[in-house]
Amino acid sequence: MKVTLTRRDKIFLLIFFVVYAVVLIFEVPSVQLPEGIGERWIVDLIPSWGIMGRVNPMTVIMTWGIIVIILGFTLPIARNFKVVPNRKQAFLEYILNYIYQSTQDMITQENLVRPVFSIAATLFMFIVVSNVLTAFPGVQIVPTSQGLKVSLFTDTWYAPTSDLNTNATYAVMVLILSHVFGIKAKGFKKWLKGWFEPTPLMFPLNLIGELAKPISHSLRLFGNIMGGGILVLIVSYLIKYAFLPVFLWGFFGVFVGIIQAMVFSLLAIAYISAQVEEG
Amino acid sequence: MSDLTMAEAIREGLKFLAAGVCMGIGAIGPGLGEGHIGAHAMDAIARQPELAGPIVGRMLLADAVAESTGLYSLVVALILLFVV
Repeated sequence: MKVTLTRRDKIFLLIFFVVYAVVLIFEVPSVQLPEGIGERWIVDLIPSWGIMGRVNPMTVIMTWGIIVIILGFTLPIARNFKVVPNRKQAFLEYILNYIYQSTQDMITQENLVRPVFSIAATLFMFIVVSNVLTAFPGVQIVPTSQGLKVSLFTDTWYAPTSDLNTNATYAVMVLILSHVFGIKAKGFKKWLKGWFEPTPLMFPLNLIGELAKPISHSLRLFGNIMGGGILVLIVSYLIKYAFLPVFLWGFFGVFVGIIQAMVFSLLAIAYISAQVEEG
Repeated sequence: MSDLTMAEAIREGLKFLAAGVCMGIGAIGPGLGEGHIGAHAMDAIARQPELAGPIVGRMLLADAVAESTGLYSLVVALILLFVV
């Protein structure tokens, strides 16, 4: 890629960097570590229910926002599907084709490929949009000692995947679906027998192994997104917000975000395939 | 910070120490694992340079799985720092 700059662009860039440097020098003493790192805005909707009556409003709002983004991108393509794709359709087809190929590689039963593909593709699209949102400045609400602090475009967007509730929901959903598919594919008796293999003595270990799956599945995504966010905040504070945060947002939001979304959906396929295949 | 009793001060200090030790030791395993993955990917690319694209893709995927134990220790360290 060759970048050509006109004289006007060069003058603009020069002025931009000079202003940036001057503002930076004057702002350095007043930069503070933002309050409320790792805190969540929690509302007690039904106090008598205890922990079950709590709501995490930002997660709910951003989840619906991401659903709207995905529908707004995919519905016009799906309504108007062409044999010769335009750019957006080709992009979507490329992603979905990759997931379909990996589903076909891991699941040998023909009739189960399509449902598993739907689950994996849905998870991938939601998680990738939500992770990549953490690479852009946006709206975030954190509680501090003086009440709620709304940061408009001084922090990244709030990602639902940086909330363990979202990730745990999807991981438990994958666990239940994998057993439903297992019962469907092998039959109830064989599925039940699978718990007592190779010997009935192994039942507790099998049980713990199954229960550990959703924990590792959800904590992996949570640790990456949440830990990345906190790391960016602290490193940005240490260097007083000079140039580096943009690249850190890019690395943790786009690079790590896309890889983790891929890992989440591929592991979902792998867990389902482990239940479905006759061992 | 000056009005802490001795027990509270020890508790605060041990919290930070625990977070540091947790993160430091927890990073050993993923470091070794990702090193192995990277080394073998390099071997594979050296043997068949035309397969570099798929190998790098799968290497990144395996890296992401290998670093999950490190992320557990990161989560534990963050809980120690911000929640406990």
